Amino acid sequence: MKQRVQPRTLIVCLSLLCLLAVWLSLALGPVSLPLFDTLRAGLRLLGLPVAGDDLQQAEMILGQIRLPRTLLGLAVGAVLALSGVAMQGLFRNPLADPGLVGVAAGAAMGAAVAIVGGSWFGGMPDVLAPYLLSLCAFIGGLGVTALVYRLGRRDGQTNVATMLLAGVAMTALGGAAVGLFSYLADDATLRTLTFWNLGSLNGASYERLWPLLMVAGGVALWLPRRARALNALLLGESEARHLGIEVERLKRELVFCTALGVGAAVAAAGLIGFIGLVVPHLVRLLAGPDHRVVLPASLLAGGVLMLFADLVARLVLAPAELPIGIVTALIGAPFFLVLLIRGRS
Amino acid sequence: MMRRPVALIALCAGLVLSTQALAAELPQRWVSAGGALSEWVSALGGEAHLVGVDTTSQHPESLKALPSVGYQRQLSAEGVLSLRPDVLVGTEEMGPPPVLAQIRKAGVRVELFSSKAELDAVDENLRHLGQLLGAEQQATALATGYRQQLDGLQAEVKQAQVGQKAPGVLLLVGHAGAKPLIAGQGTAGDWLLRQAGARNLAEHQGYKNFSSEALAALDPDVVVFSDRALADEQALQALLKENPALAASRAVREQRLVSLDPTLLVGGLGPRLPASLRTLAGAFYPAAKASFAQ
Amino acid sequence: MLQVEGLHLRRGSNEVLHDIHLQLTPGQVVGVLGPNGAGKSSLLGVLCGELAPGQGRVTLQGRPLTDWAGQARAQRLAVLPQVSSLGFSFRVEEVVAMGRMPHGSGQLRDAEIVEAALRAADAWHLLGRSYLALSGGERQRVHLARVLAQLWPGEQGTTLLLDEPTSMLDPLHQHTTLQAVRRFADRGAAVLVILHDLNLAARYCDRILLLEQGRCHALASPQEVLTPGALKAVFGIDVLVQAHPERGHPLIITR
Repeated sequence: MKQRVQPRTLIVCLSLLCLLAVWLSLALGPVSLPLFDTLRAGLRLLGLPVAGDDLQQAEMILGQIRLPRTLLGLAVGAVLALSGVAMQGLFRNPLADPGLVGVAAGAAMGAAVAIVGGSWFGGMPDVLAPYLLSLCAFIGGLGVTALVYRLGRRDGQTNVATMLLAGVAMTALGGAAVGLFSYLADDATLRTLTFWNLGSLNGASYERLWPLLMVAGGVALWLPRRARALNALLLGESEARHLGIEVERLKRELVFCTALGVGAAVAAAGLIGFIGLVVPHLVRLLAGPDHRVVLPASLLAGGVLMLFADLVARLVLAPAELPIGIVTALIGAPFFLVLLIRGRS
Repeated sequence: MMRRPVALIALCAGLVLSTQALAAELPQRWVSAGGALSEWVSALGGEAHLVGVDTTSQHPESLKALPSVGYQRQLSAEGVLSLRPDVLVGTEEMGPPPVLAQIRKAGVRVELFSSKAELDAVDENLRHLGQLLGAEQQATALATGYRQQLDGLQAEVKQAQVGQKAPGVLLLVGHAGAKPLIAGQGTAGDWLLRQAGARNLAEHQGYKNFSSEALAALDPDVVVFSDRALADEQALQALLKENPALAASRAVREQRLVSLDPTLLVGGLGPRLPASLRTLAGAFYPAAKASFAQ
Repeated sequence: MLQVEGLHLRRGSNEVLHDIHLQLTPGQVVGVLGPNGAGKSSLLGVLCGELAPGQGRVTLQGRPLTDWAGQARAQRLAVLPQVSSLGFSFRVEEVVAMGRMPHGSGQLRDAEIVEAALRAADAWHLLGRSYLALSGGERQRVHLARVLAQLWPGEQGTTLLLDEPTSMLDPLHQHTTLQAVRRFADRGAAVLVILHDLNLAARYCDRILLLEQGRCHALASPQEVLTPGALKAVFGIDVLVQAHPERGHPLIITR
């Protein structure tokens, strides 16, 4: 059997990588800031008394653009990876994806409603208007997931297979709805919709960040508490029940965490694929399937991967930028294929 | 005799200072996001100020050499800032809004213009650009000239309509001929057709796909096609090949097919419009073609 | 100690269990025999709380099974299903350690128990291997070790339910497995095991429940239950029954 990486080594390495990614994400961008300026501006932002009247630009770029963007990337990556772990545990399949319960399709549907039908919400208070897209995506994701969960329930029990099929059906339905809205859209809104579907960390701001950070924090604190229960669930639902796990409650929590997490992530950054699928898979290859390691390691690795992907997205075409969904798929898909081929031999 | 050079120097210095003072108020480094807008900036002699444009800015050709800040609706705050612009100009389509807010916060002026297909919008945009470029008079002249050209065209179209009924026209926007979209009511394409004196046979809103049968049933007198992938003659061949139903229409039987530059349809009314409208009108009213050709 | 009284279970319009009375007492191994579809797995399902009976009640140590909290129940009742579908590459010892989940006995004690359970199931040599790399029989033994670890050392007050634990095993391991189960019962655990092999049942069980179309055909010692008449009536096979030359338990020979 292949050697596993010691859990502690893995977590330490990922933490260091994470620090590196955060530093690079703060230090690099289309605007080239001298290293020393970045450092001083960073210290000033932390409230330290560093002289620097010449640092307005650096402070602005660091504090208003790169920092929120970095935090958003960390939160989105972490929450997507954790949701991936939750779904792979729920469906007891290492190839499950957070999208399986329909949350992505629902969010896409919500976003399409907001982007194309934005004018229909004429009577909306102005305060809400900038958040309409995020709100619709979040509600869409949560709503569809709730429906899928409801469809999978019978006699007080959740049938995971039925849920999976319901998720597939709802995803198809969501696709049709997005298609319909694309048909109704004019050229410009169509492009907005397309770009949204590719995801981006562009334009991150603190106001949009807080809800996601809270959700991500909640999910990141909650799921690891259920690590052992998730391990047991992998044996099978009845086996887990015989080990004393309240399986119905666990499944409800997993679906809820995923819907909330992916819903919030998609609402803040659009559809970003592959993180939820690849990261947990990779972590398991390195450290084995024990969720007590997989969950914290995926959290870190998701954030790291997201930040590196975002660095590519914002640097490679600068001053323009690439939608990050393209980058994650470009990194993720070949990587995944390599894993598959090597795993088979 | 010492006085004169001193005075001359003083004068020169004064001039330099005053232009500098003026220049300090006017934005020197420009990023333009919006096809028609970039064209107007160039027409007003401001091309040298442009340090970056978006992907819809395709004319004049020389703009393509400038750094691209991406699609106008998906600008990147840091990307734009990295060009150290004094001003970002764009239409209300420019975005996303949080990015514009960040750019403003960084001390860059963000100036918004109208992308409406209306003459008043052109007037207002030109006045605004003229102010920003310090070329108000030139802008006024350009606006007046533009209005005159279009008004003149209208008069000629009216005259031509005495001798000939307004032709029924379809505007097809396609990609290598396949599945063209038909320009419906409220689109820039529709405005173009009507300005050139045509009746737009398509009555739907926006750009929509038609079945080839529906296309044939409308039986247009003239077909205007705008292809993003192929040039004129090739585009025409591809269009007819992909849509055999069109071949039965009057437009094809009588060889009344006109190609249109697709960049004219994006981002409001631009300076190249009057010339294109004349070509269109000439095709719509063959009898009066000579008058439109001027 | 697990007990059922007056148990009825319907699935759709079929009555799959009819008026079953059964008591699993400490130190005893009860074997459940019966042809396919006789209701063996349904009985096990009711006994472990997976299926709710239409009538009758199931009690664990005098308390209704449904009243027990998950963890407390899992400390006293372990179930080995017929097949397990674990698709993740846990190591053998990690799978077995999951059996310790209901207990807070600490890492050191758990490691000792995992070793003991693996040795009992004759799977100690699989230590460090990935579960996915094991054969069907090896997997079955790992899961046996897991449920043994869950109730280790098998004191009085614990109940073990096994659904065909020997179905994939070679002859040697059929015996080592049932010997391990036997030793477990000898330490005080109550055991119920579903079997297909009549001779294995005759050798290792204290009592045998013979099921026929959801009804209890007989519930008594192997000598009393495994008679040519009963086996003809329930399985439709003609057999000779003789005493084992060395051990004396019934030996069933097909004619």
